[in-house]
Amino acid sequence: MSEQNILEVKDLTKHFKAGKKQIVHAVDGISFTLQRGKTLGLVGESGCGKSTCARTIIRMYDPTAGQIVLDGTDITAMKQKELKPYRKKMQMIFQDPYASLNARMTVRDIIAEPLMAHNLVKSKEEANDLVYPMLERVGLTKEHANRYAHEFSGGQRQRVGIARALILEPQLVICDEPISALDVSIQAQVINLLKDFQEEKGLSYLFIAHDLSMVRYVSDDVGVMYLGQLVEMSEADEIYRNPLHPYTKGLLGSVPIANPKLARQKEKSSIEGDIPSPINPPSGCRFHTRCPYAVPECSRVKPELVDVGGGHKVACHLHK
Amino acid sequence: MENKWEMLGSSNEDREKIWSKNRTFAGDVWFRFRHKPTSIAGLVIIVLLMLFALLGPMFTDYSYSTQNLEVVNIPPRMKVYETPDGSGYLYVTQALKVVQVSRDGIMGNQLKKVREEADSSMTIFDCSGTEVALYYGAKPYVIADPQTRVIYPSAHVWNKSYVLGTDSLGRDILTRLMYGTRVSLMVAFVAAAVNMIIGILFGGISGYAGGMVDTVMMRIVDIISTIPLTLYVILIMVFLESGLQSIIIALGTVYWVDMARVVRGQVLSLKQQEFVMAARTIGSSTRTILLQHLIPNAMGSILVTVTMLIPSAIFMEAFLGYLGIGLKPPLASLGTMCNDATENLRSCPHQMFIPALVICLIMFAFNFVGDGLRDALDPKLKK
Repeated sequence: MSEQNILEVKDLTKHFKAGKKQIVHAVDGISFTLQRGKTLGLVGESGCGKSTCARTIIRMYDPTAGQIVLDGTDITAMKQKELKPYRKKMQMIFQDPYASLNARMTVRDIIAEPLMAHNLVKSKEEANDLVYPMLERVGLTKEHANRYAHEFSGGQRQRVGIARALILEPQLVICDEPISALDVSIQAQVINLLKDFQEEKGLSYLFIAHDLSMVRYVSDDVGVMYLGQLVEMSEADEIYRNPLHPYTKGLLGSVPIANPKLARQKEKSSIEGDIPSPINPPSGCRFHTRCPYAVPECSRVKPELVDVGGGHKVACHLHK
Repeated sequence: MENKWEMLGSSNEDREKIWSKNRTFAGDVWFRFRHKPTSIAGLVIIVLLMLFALLGPMFTDYSYSTQNLEVVNIPPRMKVYETPDGSGYLYVTQALKVVQVSRDGIMGNQLKKVREEADSSMTIFDCSGTEVALYYGAKPYVIADPQTRVIYPSAHVWNKSYVLGTDSLGRDILTRLMYGTRVSLMVAFVAAAVNMIIGILFGGISGYAGGMVDTVMMRIVDIISTIPLTLYVILIMVFLESGLQSIIIALGTVYWVDMARVVRGQVLSLKQQEFVMAARTIGSSTRTILLQHLIPNAMGSILVTVTMLIPSAIFMEAFLGYLGIGLKPPLASLGTMCNDATENLRSCPHQMFIPALVICLIMFAFNFVGDGLRDALDPKLKK
């Protein structure tokens, strides 16, 4: 186990029961490592298990199988009580800035809650000494402390959410689509704030999104997920320049291009059909039902994620 | 800022400023509460009723148990006959006695009976030296001159001695109403508080824990609610001695099931929300999550349930009084007063209407206040 890895995930699996005998394969055998101070982007269609993956890592859900190693400690099987000290190292920023803040609490109380939960401060006054600088750090002021969350705009709320996640000075922050509910103009503001924090404190981010250009901007590495599995993983620019997996190609091909001339030249490689049900995922390569290059082998044998050179990993029979 | 149309600078302060007023939580709640006329009306009614119930007995000359059998079933507005000398009035009681009434309605002494003239259906009384006759041959009974048989002029005066009249045992209804309101309000507050605490804890734990714990706890609630709650209360009352304490115990231990159901439902849906997940990833304790996140957000429905519960507690207490297992007789409650009045409903409907009116007032007031509180406690409705 390397010292420089803040998070190691091995064969992480999370299945949910749906009905009596049906099982939803939300996350199926995902492995990756995240280095200190780096950002790993996870992209994929809606319903591919990105959020479940994040929530399992932060142990909101109990993993079905696999291993989660946070900063050299295996937290996979810990009970919630044992887990508490490790929560300080790992925090989460949520997708919906409207639902993730309690409407009955003032911003001060929201940001002070982690401090109270971990007994880092004894009184409200003591908490204020930490809360006010943090508020200013995210671009809000002392005057905002007594306000309720609903009085803020979406961007301001998301910054409150960031302040709440960062006040414990965690080493790893899981960002579960932190910008997808925001205006484009506000997205940049929030992303830049996150980047500033990363430079300042050496944070690591697990950044989940479906906005591919934003992921390219923030991430050092990018993992592409399809139906609960990682299909391709590489350094960010490499994956955008040279996508190998047909799904990644399709995903990148579906990004609209603003310039119509360039858009006409672009290779049309959109993905046909819908994502199959995670209750009965296809055998072999899960993408073979929609893959334009599928060969008979694809439906029988599950391709492993293999390094095709330069740390570019892909799970596809076409690339071995 | 003098000119509101001037361009703002790009300073952070202007951009992030929230222009609405900043108030404390209590100030905010009060602001929203007082801007709703119905809730203020409800609050005023409750305060007035409480003053009436707590301070009122100091200002009456009677106690709730003082009986005066000579003046039973007297209405608040009396039909009276003038005395022969015209200085005052005479009132005929149901027991065919004649009572002096002053010009402004204060009841005086009873007239002395002189003799009975049964053949002409008259009783002769002595009214300060003059004889007057009470003719009881036909209803309504009248007072007339025994010689000329001329009926004295009649009038209606408001009863000043017993403002709301007396009941069938000659007790002052106003005084009993004060004590009755006191009992009803006390039952309402205590039963509501006990139910709220038990219901919130039971429902909150059941909803939050989920799984087997939830199933078992909710089956307990189901079992309790298969038998009508009224029956439980009656059974408990049979075991306990009748009295105010027992009523409160009986109501408090039974009526929380609705509250538990409501709280559980709310908690079940709230615990899936992101802010609760956030609290869990932060590492907040279950206690914090329940008391700071889930229950405050469920407060709206909790208050609505409480305001429904208060009238039913008052009704239940009245019903127990009606069955005769409520308060012990000389004690008054609004329910027992209604019950006592049913016997004379035809002749003295006011005995029933007055306590019933107070019950209505209490329930209206609590509903209005509950409604206002629910809105006031929701910071999302800030104006």
